Amino acid sequence: MKYVGKSIQRIDAFEKVTGSAEYAGDIELPGMLYTKLLLSPYAHAKIKSIDFSDALKVPGVITIAIGEDFPFRIGLYVNDRNILARKKVRWVGEPVAAVVAENLEAAEEAIELIKVDYEPLPPVLDVRDALKPDAPLVHEELGEYAHSPAFNPIPGTNIANRFVVKKGNVEEGFKKSDVIVENEFLMPQVSHVPMEPHTCIGQYMKDGSIKIWTSAQSPFAIRYILGYSLGVPLHKISVYVPYVGGGFGGKAGINFEPLVVLLSKKAGYRPVKLELTREEQFMVAPVRQGFYGKIKTGVTRDGKIMAEKILYVFDAGAYADYGVNIGRAAGYSCTGPYYVPNLEGESLTVYTNHPWGTAFRGFGHFEFLWAIERQMEIVAAEIGMDPIEFRLKNALLPGLTTPTGEKLREDAGRIDQCIKAVAEKIGWGTPPVKITPNKIRAKGIAALWKAPAMPPNAASSAIIKLNEDGTFLLSVGVTEIGQGTVTALAQIVAEELSVPVEKIKVVPFRHTDLTPYSWQTVASRNLFMEGRAVIRAARDVKEQILEVASQVLRVPKDDLEIEDEKVYVKGRPEWSLQLKDIAAGYVYPNGNTIGGPIIGRGYYVGSRLTYLDPETGQGYPALKWTFGAQAVEIELDTETGEIKILKLVSAFDVGKAINPMLVEGQIVGGCVQSISLGMWEEYKYDKNGRMINPNLTDYKIARAGDIPEEHIVVIIENPQKDGPYGARGVGELSMLSVPPAIANAIFHATGVNINNLPLSFENIWKALKEKR
Amino acid sequence: MSQNKNINLGYINLFNTHIIPVKFNYHAPQTLEEALNLLNKLKDKARVIAGGTDLIVDMKLRRKEPEHVVSLNKIRELDYITVDSLGVKIGAIVKLRKIEKEKIIRERFPALYEALKSMASIQVRNMGTMVGNICNASPAADTAPPLLIYNATLTAKSLNNERKIPIEEFFKAPGKTALKEDELVTEIFIPYPPQDSHSTFLKITRVGMDLSKVSIAVLTKFNGSIIEDIRIALGAVAPTPLRIRRAEEFLKNKPLTEENLKIVQEIVAKEIKPITDVRSTEWYRREVAKVLVKDALMKCLEEEGGR
Amino acid sequence: MKIRIIVNGVERELEVEPNELLINVLREKLRLTGTKYGCGIGECGACTVHVNGEPVLSCLTLAVEVDGKEITTIEGLGKDGELDPIQEAFIEEGAVQCGYCTPGFIMTAKALLNEKINPTREEIIDYIKGNLCRCTGYVNIVKAIQKAAEKISQRKSK
Repeated sequence: MKYVGKSIQRIDAFEKVTGSAEYAGDIELPGMLYTKLLLSPYAHAKIKSIDFSDALKVPGVITIAIGEDFPFRIGLYVNDRNILARKKVRWVGEPVAAVVAENLEAAEEAIELIKVDYEPLPPVLDVRDALKPDAPLVHEELGEYAHSPAFNPIPGTNIANRFVVKKGNVEEGFKKSDVIVENEFLMPQVSHVPMEPHTCIGQYMKDGSIKIWTSAQSPFAIRYILGYSLGVPLHKISVYVPYVGGGFGGKAGINFEPLVVLLSKKAGYRPVKLELTREEQFMVAPVRQGFYGKIKTGVTRDGKIMAEKILYVFDAGAYADYGVNIGRAAGYSCTGPYYVPNLEGESLTVYTNHPWGTAFRGFGHFEFLWAIERQMEIVAAEIGMDPIEFRLKNALLPGLTTPTGEKLREDAGRIDQCIKAVAEKIGWGTPPVKITPNKIRAKGIAALWKAPAMPPNAASSAIIKLNEDGTFLLSVGVTEIGQGTVTALAQIVAEELSVPVEKIKVVPFRHTDLTPYSWQTVASRNLFMEGRAVIRAARDVKEQILEVASQVLRVPKDDLEIEDEKVYVKGRPEWSLQLKDIAAGYVYPNGNTIGGPIIGRGYYVGSRLTYLDPETGQGYPALKWTFGAQAVEIELDTETGEIKILKLVSAFDVGKAINPMLVEGQIVGGCVQSISLGMWEEYKYDKNGRMINPNLTDYKIARAGDIPEEHIVVIIENPQKDGPYGARGVGELSMLSVPPAIANAIFHATGVNINNLPLSFENIWKALKEKR
Repeated sequence: MSQNKNINLGYINLFNTHIIPVKFNYHAPQTLEEALNLLNKLKDKARVIAGGTDLIVDMKLRRKEPEHVVSLNKIRELDYITVDSLGVKIGAIVKLRKIEKEKIIRERFPALYEALKSMASIQVRNMGTMVGNICNASPAADTAPPLLIYNATLTAKSLNNERKIPIEEFFKAPGKTALKEDELVTEIFIPYPPQDSHSTFLKITRVGMDLSKVSIAVLTKFNGSIIEDIRIALGAVAPTPLRIRRAEEFLKNKPLTEENLKIVQEIVAKEIKPITDVRSTEWYRREVAKVLVKDALMKCLEEEGGR
Repeated sequence: MKIRIIVNGVERELEVEPNELLINVLREKLRLTGTKYGCGIGECGACTVHVNGEPVLSCLTLAVEVDGKEITTIEGLGKDGELDPIQEAFIEEGAVQCGYCTPGFIMTAKALLNEKINPTREEIIDYIKGNLCRCTGYVNIVKAIQKAAEKISQRKSK
């Protein structure tokens, strides 16, 4: 292959290194206004009254909106979200009012003059408390919310979704077990910290149409939800997405777009811009849900898992419109990449008065793999088995069934190969070494798997146009959020149509009026699904080219070949046509023209995916399963709890690396993000549920000095037959299972089990101290 | 700007880091005299800016809302590093990065050099000044422990007065110093440490670039195995950076044995008054301070051994 | 207040308020939008520009304070349509993902390589510690700066 499998440079890199790449914040429109939000100081309170009469008098203020101005509910899966808080506030930071002004100074001044009278309500600040029968309700009206059929909210409780999976007979399985191990695990809420905070501009036009410019992952989801909630037909809504400065799931679904659109209407149809500050990004924008897990594993002495009983509880925060899918995703893959014959799993998405949760790279999985991969280590130790051997013994290999009863396809990725690869490269099998009296070096390992968490009807499409000079234009709905999918898609077009990548332009923005449909840019689904759609579109183009060429060259289509920007007769390369000569119709010397502009199209939806049975969770949720494993070697300072990651090894079965440099970039970047979440990141609250570290001084993410000293990436390629050139997605996968690998290394170094994240130096130190 | 401060919205609305939502008058005097005149006139209505890395953040978050901002950056007479037989003098507007690059600092004041190199980013060090770092009086100011062990002296000037303030008397509380509202610190004088002494700086942070959880500077001078001179200063473990005099007194004229080391660790743990905040807990700070005292003293001892 | 500055080699006279920040003057008044806002408090480095050749944070700089000074932004790098070697290296080494932090990193790297022709890996990591990137995990950024250093010394020796 000439283009697929090659490490070509990103097609968007030039714009990005010169500062000319356009992001939503760079857009200025004539007559643009700015909005600033008034945030709730309470985690849970009734709004008794709001008086903004003084605020309106501030020069430059155009209008002020409160929740009652916008009586619409929005949501991706569950319609539970208000545009601005109505009747009550549900987290510290929920927007209560919005000031629209000519400039930020005026908006800022006015915000201070708004008087809100609150009646504080008892808040729910721990997800376990939220499940108690007498817990205050975050959503009293849960029963009235519209929701997707795939979800199961329980009115009268805080449970936004209950997902159950049942397989075999758990009681029997435990009876056959020699050892039963039960543990609990915790993970705090964390933030995506995209370097570009959420930014959007909305304009309600006088003719009732709507224009949106936004830093978002999913323009079509925004258009659909907005249309549904406001009752506006979709052809009247256009959503424009330029380059996105990092998403990681936080800009998926729909966020602040409805707010700016409605504010625009109220402000006399002028465009309104919302640009969150970093502090607001922490408090107002959605977060990664918190997690509590309880796992009971039954195992035989010789290391076979016989049964598992699992409870996962996700802290959805104040709203779960997207968040319900996180619990579902964790539920259907709850065992990790292991075969468990008897299983009872329950995964709950639960409302609390914390900031609202949304998708975050590898959602559901990053959380439950923390629990499962720690549990595997603890169980292996209980039965005195090497943890690698134990994992391999229970590895979910092709032919075995997943928690939902899906028989793993023959051409699925291979978890055993991933585990063996990292074990070899980390040098597994040597005991921990004391470097100094206080410093120990030790190794740890953890495995992972994930399938795209998406509805069975998630679709993708592509359009390829042949320009008059023989160059091509590829248009796809996947947004460019840094992951580089569009570069790989251009390589696929190049390969399919035998044309250099430099001659293919991928439209750098998304505009729902012009761009072909894509459900969302999420779930590591886009290379796979857009990839398939692009192949089909390319073949459509090819077919149209051959159609015209066969007439001009007077041979049947199947005697023709396209190569190096020409179409020619096989074995007779001298009988050929330049692609450019048929791009807009072929013109004979006398002016007769045949054919016409060539526009190829293709689409893709997953094959034979199903909703899952509401009682047993059985069915086919997975477009593809990607497997992987992580191994670390750490150096632990037992006096201070400081750890250094000396070496990290990551292996993923990606099926086929369309662009190895980009695959490695995703893996290395995702792993550092994973280390960062695992070691430092955490929403810290005071007793009233107020976040106390909402800025980058107090919420720390990894810096250049915090990366592993050495990182080895192993790319395994067992192709999946229905993937584009055999490829599977990997974008999210890279951030899974690094924290449990680190914690497992700490366990081997000291015998101390740490089951709560983050693995901050202080938490490690505390755990070591408690053992002493 | 809004004068309405009686509505208690909590800090969560004081969030604008896109703009400075506070209007102020800006003054850029060309001479020190002009500056002192301004301060004499404006008193507490004015804030002095040199690097701006602290003041601008405070104004953005509306922790400070001065009516006047007096910039020192045009006052050339405050931009100097002079070296003489007694030590080094550093003017008020010298950037941190310039101090760090000075050969004399690296060679004669290694604890200060290490502190400068470890603090903040290159960008912030290009903007900020050491006088600013000290005057901001953060308990975690990284340059404070080294300046404490080197017995630095500050020159404070007002329109009608000039006085020298030993650094140990300068810090009063978080954000509070011995400076009067019309006074300006114009210079830091750092005398050379004793011949053949060793000094070092260490700190513990969360990530690669961070405010210190605990920082320490130590100076030792050995006479054979006996410690002749010893100075220990810590940051981020009390309302102000502080010298641990009791530990110094204990160690003086004693050898650095394992037993003495343990006693010193305990003295330090007793003398400091750490708090629990968003960055760390009180007990972790106390424990880590003990480790840092040991590590810093051992580092000095190693240097002595390698001499 | 009136200020006179040289931005990317062009002299500008601007009317600014005392509380205006350099980042907003660059982005809004001069429409040089390559300089990015990331945190506003000096933690992320996305707004890094050069003032008189030194890298500083434009989000913590008053516009009035740069009166009379020379400012270089990402738009000022490279000449005659050619990329700066650092920009080239960032492309070649895969040091760019979402691209939002990229201008800040390049400006910081530029300052480093102006100061030191052949920095070690450790020196690079230390120099860029004030710039945050959430996508790349820094590895390729460090590689790109190393490669840029090689390019620059090769060109100098020619």
